[in-house]
Amino acid sequence: MSMQTILLKQHIGAPCEPVVAAGDQVQRGTLIAKPAGLGANIHASVSGKVAAVTETAIQIEADAEQPDDFVSIEGETNLELLKAAGLVGMGGAGFPTAVKLNVDLKGGYILVNAAECEPVLEHNMQQIRTKADMTVRGIKYIMEICNADHGVIAIKAKHEKEVAILNEAIKGDDKLSIHLLPDLYPMGEERAVVREVLGTLLDPTQLPSAADAVVINVETVLRAAEAIELHRPAITKNITVIGKLKGGPQAHVFMDVPVGTTVGELIERAGGIDGEYGEIILGGPFTGSATTLDTPITKTTGGIIVTQPFEDLKGKKVGLLVCACGGNENRMRDIAAKMNGEVISVQKCKQAAEIKGALKCENPGNCPGQAQKCINFKKDGCEDIIIGNCSDCTNTVMGSAPKLGLAVHHQTDHVLQTVGKEVMRYLTTSKKLEEAPAEAPAQESPEPHKAEAEKPAVKYTATVNDGMLRIHIEEGKDINIEFPFH
Amino acid sequence: MSITAETAQEHKNDPAVLCCRLEAGNQIQPANLEDPAIFDDLVDSGLLNLDGCLKISQVLGATLTKTCDSLSPITADAVDKIQEEEEEAPALEAAPEEAPAPAPAVSVAGPVSGGTLKIHIGEGKEINIEIPMGFSGGNGVAVAPVAAPAEMKDEQNAEEPAKVVRSVTRKHYAISEVKRGPETKIDGTVLYIREGIEEEAVASQELVHELKLDIITPDKYNTYSETIMDVQPIAAKEGEDEIGSGVTRVLDGVIMMVTGTDDNGVQIGEFGSSEGILEENIMWNRPGAPDKGEIFIKTEVTIKEGTNMERPGPLAAHAATDVITQEIREALKKLEDDSLVVNTETFEQVRRPGKKKVVIVKEIMGQGAMHDNLILPVEPVGVLGAKPNVDLGNVPVVVSPVEVLDGCIHALTCIGPASKEMSRHYWREPLVLETLHDPEVDLCGVILVGSPQINSEKFYVSKRVGMTCEAMDVDGAFVTTEGFGNNHIDFASHIEQIGMRGISVVGMSFCAKQGALVVGNKYMTNMVDNNKSEGGIENEVLACNTLCHEDAIRALNMLKVQMNGGKVKAAEKQWNPNVKANNVELISNVTGKPIELVPNETSLPMSKKRKEKYS
Repeated sequence: MSMQTILLKQHIGAPCEPVVAAGDQVQRGTLIAKPAGLGANIHASVSGKVAAVTETAIQIEADAEQPDDFVSIEGETNLELLKAAGLVGMGGAGFPTAVKLNVDLKGGYILVNAAECEPVLEHNMQQIRTKADMTVRGIKYIMEICNADHGVIAIKAKHEKEVAILNEAIKGDDKLSIHLLPDLYPMGEERAVVREVLGTLLDPTQLPSAADAVVINVETVLRAAEAIELHRPAITKNITVIGKLKGGPQAHVFMDVPVGTTVGELIERAGGIDGEYGEIILGGPFTGSATTLDTPITKTTGGIIVTQPFEDLKGKKVGLLVCACGGNENRMRDIAAKMNGEVISVQKCKQAAEIKGALKCENPGNCPGQAQKCINFKKDGCEDIIIGNCSDCTNTVMGSAPKLGLAVHHQTDHVLQTVGKEVMRYLTTSKKLEEAPAEAPAQESPEPHKAEAEKPAVKYTATVNDGMLRIHIEEGKDINIEFPFH
Repeated sequence: MSITAETAQEHKNDPAVLCCRLEAGNQIQPANLEDPAIFDDLVDSGLLNLDGCLKISQVLGATLTKTCDSLSPITADAVDKIQEEEEEAPALEAAPEEAPAPAPAVSVAGPVSGGTLKIHIGEGKEINIEIPMGFSGGNGVAVAPVAAPAEMKDEQNAEEPAKVVRSVTRKHYAISEVKRGPETKIDGTVLYIREGIEEEAVASQELVHELKLDIITPDKYNTYSETIMDVQPIAAKEGEDEIGSGVTRVLDGVIMMVTGTDDNGVQIGEFGSSEGILEENIMWNRPGAPDKGEIFIKTEVTIKEGTNMERPGPLAAHAATDVITQEIREALKKLEDDSLVVNTETFEQVRRPGKKKVVIVKEIMGQGAMHDNLILPVEPVGVLGAKPNVDLGNVPVVVSPVEVLDGCIHALTCIGPASKEMSRHYWREPLVLETLHDPEVDLCGVILVGSPQINSEKFYVSKRVGMTCEAMDVDGAFVTTEGFGNNHIDFASHIEQIGMRGISVVGMSFCAKQGALVVGNKYMTNMVDNNKSEGGIENEVLACNTLCHEDAIRALNMLKVQMNGGKVKAAEKQWNPNVKANNVELISNVTGKPIELVPNETSLPMSKKRKEKYS
């Protein structure tokens, strides 16, 4: 079998420190690297011999015969098991799960993110179809760890079959419910899930815990159940491979792919690239970025997309509308270069707030208006614009850009065209769902309100000094002061 | 882009347009509305048609009855009901930006009834109340935070009489001919200039290598001249009188004109200069320009090569010219025959207590080189005794309006001649004259402030301007500037510093097309454009776009409107000369006085340069 390259950084935090050396024999599940600071354990995803340890990765020459079993992890509590398993957020963020779940929600909510929001990815839905029971057990374990009274699975209403399966799986447990989401991008963004389910709009700097909630990806939930019930380390990942492949553009879902498998191997397993192509994306069309065939997958990889060749803009003057929902400026510039456009203007969506170096949307999926940006593009002399916006913002851009004579391209165009889907342009789907299915409770769309501390009663101080009575009132309502004088 | 509750309140009478798609059944919030600031652009681009659009105040809180896409104007058929104009809720006006809800910062009512001071606060933050303990009844003035109306001055002081604080008398001597002769003298209406005076003028300045003196009579208006650096009245104080008081003698029918190049023939102020055929490059009868028919005593000064863009070069050209002017002044001072006085006029600075107190802030060039001004010379528009405002650090200098009219500024300007104020401009400054003579306002002074080169210095001086206005306790201020571009940074900052102190303020500048403001702030709502040119450009025709009577009356009326609580309609996005035409017509309708607009460059023969550059 081949060489597995296991990256030392598969999570938010510092790279792990290797605990094996070249020449060591490892089993499937052997701990090979430990966190240095924030991070999560990394285990061998195959049995074999460590071929090399570099600064960034451990390479394992896999044995020809691979066992079905694995080296079990150990831990006293469920949380310890998750930590030992090296579990990280599998939706893409890669935040160490044991750190995230080490919180007392005091009866709050576990919000399971099954939005599978990036268009064309399908492995989350396949998981629900095949492993619903174990997934639901995972939710219960996590509720217990975090002291949550409610578990809510957020899933798009269009996945009727999966919704039905989940309804069956949670039947009889009144702590669990399903919240249906409209088919819009983005719905899976952490704060979007909180807003949609709980009606609380968090600031970009706030964590879901500000709303007594933890948002967790549906695959992470399943892997948590595996760690707790089977003492299985996080060594595999579910992957969707799709695009310009021999045999057609339909999705190939591979369950339990060993971490360290290369993009190239998976594409081959899906049939291989069909002739000329544009780029290979690691991740989804919105938030993924271009990759190469020899790149290994990690615990956070979700999609591998082979696209058709890019449209050639023949050196036209291009403007980029960067927002938090799509690619960052580097990714947008990458796409512009591949489309042979000359970038002469970069505008940032008004709602894209820079938090710790990354862009976050202040109100994901609800547009703040884009007409000014389009006018700016026009003033700067753009002919075409490339946007990475969400469904709502894209619709707004379409309200002005074409009338200004700006040709609009969306950063997902080449992906959606490859798989024969309609490109992102005008919005036709409602943000609200018409009617929730009877079996799905808690289907409300409360108006988002800002999370806010309780108003204190009137706080004041009164002092007498230098013959003056000084009253200072910090804040209050309906204050009456009466002062008799003689 | 979406707006805040505060912006919505500011624009409550503007059209309500959705910034984004909004579905039926949603209540309309400020965040759903597009910023009216970009409507002009949107309309221009054909993105927006505001026909039938409701006002923002009419739609906020209403429910949308049909799903509308972005940039849809909200019309009556799209909402469940049109919101009634609410009574001016004091709430929204004072709401700080961070406030989550449109709540009042503080609203206080504090009546004193019986023997009890009662204060009720509806809602507020960080409230401090101080009450003297010895406070023993009578009037309840200790209730501090109730905003006292500041408008009481008018009634209180209405009876106080106007007072003349300072005056200057100008005696005019007519000159019909200028000749060269053995001595400089005035004989009847003939001015003689001593032959050979040029040599002394050259010798007086190290950097001046040559000086040519030409007497330009109207028949020589069609001759070539180097760039016109200044136009100056020829005037002298009588006896021991100082600028701004006493008697000033001035020659009519003749002016001094400074022109020049460096040794290499480079114009002093090359890059936007007015060299060429005189009659093609002078906008006659502008306050700062020669009047048609006048005789020019024109010096053509050649200065050391390369010094044309440094401070000492242009200054030397002016100083050398002033050697000649000074000798004429001496001759003028010697005249004893009062029968030669053809006209006498007196400029009085009248203080009018009880009237709205106003000040004129004149931003003058202060970047150095030819962008300098000599302030308060001994003789009107002289050199001796004056301090360059660059050397004064460009800080504000307060002068009397009468000092301005008496030649307290000797201007060094050149680049961009169409919008620069020559020395003669101040001598006949229309805004000063108009405001001085308006019985409805109390002009307390003129603040001269230089425009420094460096941004940090610009803000340094503008803060001093604000503080000076604060100390003067004025109700209103004009801010004028000359030129355009770089100086607009401090021009805008002056207006901001004045406006933030609650003082009404009107700005005056050449803007139009070429000089469009590059900076702005929320106090720049009342602006008067000094443009006269056909195309809205700096056309290099001397004084074409400088402040004229027609601009002064617009500014004065605008300031009065604002000081009396009125509002000036917001400017259009694009330069539109009709705005001026409409305002002039409005003013003339109200005052009953027709206003004749001055001609522009189209009344002049077209120069070759203008043909090539601007047509």
